Amino acid sequence: MTRARYPDATGHVERGGVRVFWERYGDGEPTVLFLPTWTFIHSRCWKAQIPYLARHCRVLAFDPRGNGRSDRPNDPRLYAEREFAADALAVMDATGTERAVLVSLSKGAQRALLLAANHPQRVTGAAFIAPFFPASPLGGMRWRIMAHPRLRPALFIRPPVAAGWMKFNGAHWRADYPDFVEWFTRRIFNVPHSTKQIEDAVQWGLETDPDTLIASVAGDLAAPPTRRDQLALAERVRCPVLVISSPHDKITSHADAKALAQAAGGRLVSIPEGGHCPQARKPVAVNLALREFVRAFSFHDGFAPASRHWHDRLRSSP
Amino acid sequence: MRALTDRIRCPVLVIHGRGDAVRPHDSGAALAAMTGGTLVSLGGSGHNPQSRDPVKINLTLRGFIRPRRSPTSAWTRARARPRRALFISSPIGLGHAQRDVAIARELRSIHPDLEIDWLAQDPVTRVLEAEGERIHPASAELASESGHIESESAEHDLHCFQAWRRMDEILVSNFMVFHDLVEAEPYDLWIGDEAWELDYFLHENPELKCAAYCWLTDFVGWLPMPDGGEREAFLTADYNAEMVDHIARFPRLRDRAIFVGNPDDIVPNRLGPDLPLIREWTEQHFDFAGYVSGFDPARFADREALRAELGYGQHQRVCLISVGGSGVGEHLLRRLIDAHPLAAAQVPGLRTIVVAGPRIDPDSLPRHDGLEVVGYVHNLYRHLAACDLAVVQGGLTTAMELTANRRPFIYFLLGHHFEQNFHVRHRLERYRAGRCMDIGSSPPEAIACAIAEEIGREVDYRPVESDGARRASQRIAELL
Repeated sequence: MTRARYPDATGHVERGGVRVFWERYGDGEPTVLFLPTWTFIHSRCWKAQIPYLARHCRVLAFDPRGNGRSDRPNDPRLYAEREFAADALAVMDATGTERAVLVSLSKGAQRALLLAANHPQRVTGAAFIAPFFPASPLGGMRWRIMAHPRLRPALFIRPPVAAGWMKFNGAHWRADYPDFVEWFTRRIFNVPHSTKQIEDAVQWGLETDPDTLIASVAGDLAAPPTRRDQLALAERVRCPVLVISSPHDKITSHADAKALAQAAGGRLVSIPEGGHCPQARKPVAVNLALREFVRAFSFHDGFAPASRHWHDRLRSSP
Repeated sequence: MRALTDRIRCPVLVIHGRGDAVRPHDSGAALAAMTGGTLVSLGGSGHNPQSRDPVKINLTLRGFIRPRRSPTSAWTRARARPRRALFISSPIGLGHAQRDVAIARELRSIHPDLEIDWLAQDPVTRVLEAEGERIHPASAELASESGHIESESAEHDLHCFQAWRRMDEILVSNFMVFHDLVEAEPYDLWIGDEAWELDYFLHENPELKCAAYCWLTDFVGWLPMPDGGEREAFLTADYNAEMVDHIARFPRLRDRAIFVGNPDDIVPNRLGPDLPLIREWTEQHFDFAGYVSGFDPARFADREALRAELGYGQHQRVCLISVGGSGVGEHLLRRLIDAHPLAAAQVPGLRTIVVAGPRIDPDSLPRHDGLEVVGYVHNLYRHLAACDLAVVQGGLTTAMELTANRRPFIYFLLGHHFEQNFHVRHRLERYRAGRCMDIGSSPPEAIACAIAEEIGREVDYRPVESDGARRASQRIAELL
C-alpha cells in the first residue's frame, strides 16, 4: 500500500524509557501538530489531512504511547494525560518547533487542553475534533462515570453480558479483543458507506493489545472527570479555538463539543454525518475547516493574508 | 508622493481596472508598490469599478477587512473571459488519455477559443506532452495513482476494486489539489474521465461545485470477483448504493454523464441485491457516445502504406505485444517473450515487437532473435492497425482499438480485475473480437500455438463506430 505523501523526517523521542515515534512533513509557517488520540488507534488516523496541510505548512504527527511505532508500556501512570502532553513538547523540541497549532481528536482533546492551558507560549491555536470533554450535563455523563477513579476497578469485573457499552471492559478485552475493536469501530463510524474507514480503524486497533489498552484507559485525565474541573481547565485556554463535531456522534456527545467551544471561547463547526471521526468520513469538509483555522496563524506583521501564500504556492509550483 | 506614501503604516489594498481611461492602471500599481500594499487588477474594468462590478468589489473589500480568503491578484470581467475547461483524466492506464485528447480536439473545433488545461499525472502526461496539451502546474502536487496501483499488483494479478479502495488517502489528497486549483482559477467546465476523486468528493461536498461538470466513464458498477465471497459482494453493492444515492440526491451535480460505449456494452448484472440493473440505471442517467477512439480507422485503410511507413518488411509477419500503460503487465510480458522462440519455429518470418510501455524499463527485459523491445510508443494505435497479430492485456482501450482496426488479437485478463473480467470481456464478446486466454493455464508452448493459429487470420468483428469523440464533444460543448 502506498501513501499520498511520505514524511520528510522521522524520529523517536525518549522520556523515562518510553520511546515515541514522530513524523515531520513539509515546511513553512505555521507548524500544525496532530496530536495522537486514544491509544486504540495511531497517527494514521490523520492520513486524509496530512498530505493536504503539508502542501501549505509544516506538519508534525506522532504515535501515541501504546500503539503505532511508539513503545507499549503497561504501567497506567505512564498513560496519564500529562505524559502525552510532555511527549508533544518533546516532539516539538526535537524538531525545533517553537510554537504550533494543535489539532486533536477525541481523547486527544485532554492533552490539547493541558498544553494550551499550561504552555500558552507554545500553542498558537487549538482545533478539537469530536472532543473527549465530558462536561455537558447529560451528554458527558457516561464518560464522567466511566472515567471516575473510584469506579476504575469496575473496568476489570467481567460484565454479565458483553453487549453494547458493557464491551468497554478490560475483562472483555482480554477475553475477546477483536470483538471489542469491531464493535467500538462500528460505533465510531455510524454512518452508511463507511466500510473502508472501519477496516482501517479495526486494523489500527489490532496493532495494540488488551493489556496496553487497559493501562491507557486507567491513566489520569487532564483534570478530574467532573463538570467543574473540566470546564475550569477549558476556561484557562486563551488561544483561538475551533471545535468540529458531528451531531450524531455515538462516542462523545455533540453537547460536550458545544460545551468546550463555549468554555474555551471557540467556534463550533458541525459536520453532519461525520460520526466520531469526521476527519476520516468527511475529510474534505474537515480539511477546509482546518485550513480556514490554520490560515489565521500565518499572518505576517499582523496582516498579509495567509491565503496569498497558498495561492502563490499553487501558481509558482513547477 | 513618495514622502507621503512612506508615512502610511496601515495595511493597504489598491483596486484598479486595467481598462481605466481616467486614471491609468499603472498609477494604481505604483501606489500599491510604494505603500507595500496588495494590488487587485480588474481585467476589462474601467474607472469606478465599484458601480460596474459591485459584487467583485464587495467581495474584495470583505476579504480585506476580514481576510478569510485572499483578494485574488487578477480578475477579468465575465464577458471578457475566454472559455476555459479543466480536464481531469484518470492516470490508471493510457486509454483515457488517448480518448480524452480526441475529445479535447473535437471540443476545440466547436469552440475555437476554448482553453483547455489538464490536471494530470504520469503516464497521462506523456500523451499530453506529445500532443502539445497544456498541463497545469498544480499537476506536480498530485499523489501518484499509477504508482499505487502498481504496488498493489502481483504476478498478472490486480484486485483493482480493493486496490482502488486502498487508494483512499491518495484520492482525498488529489481532490484537495483540484479544489485549491479551481478555487484560485475560474473554469467554465470541469471534465472528469473516470476521475473518481472528483466525482465522489463533489457528491460528498456539493457546495464546492462552481463550474459545469461532465463525467465520463466506460463502465458502471463495481462487481465482486467470485472468490471474494459474501464480503466482497456486500462491499461492491455498498459502493454502488452510495453512488445511486449520490446521483438521486444531487441530480444537479453532473451536468453531463457520458458513457463511452453503447447500451448493449453494459453487463446484465445488478448493482447489488436490492439495487437496479446496471443497464437500466445507466440508461436513465447517462448519454451514450458510442465507443470513443483516439483515431479514425479510415485513415489506415491503406495498410500496406502504413506498414511500409512503420518499417514492417513485406514478408514479415508482425506480432505486437503490449500490456498497457501501467507497470502491472510485466509478468505477462515476460511470459510472452518466452513464447516467442517457440512461435517463431511455427511462423516463418515472425517479427515480435514488444512495447514495454512508459512504466516498465525496456532494458530490463530479455531479448531473442526476431524480437525487439521498445519503451513508450506514441500513437501506438498505428502499430495496432498495421500488425498481423497483437497479444495484449485485457484493457479496454487497446482491445477496442484492435477491434476497430479489425486485427486478430489474443488477450489475457488480469486476475481479480473485475473491470477486465466482466465489463471488458462482455463488450469484446459482443463485438466477437479477440481470443481470450488465461495466463494460469497457458505455458509458453500454448501461447506459441495460439499465435500460430491467430496470426493473419481474417476476422468477422462487429464494426466499431468512429464518431464517438465527436458525439461526446457535442454533448459537452453545450455546456460552454
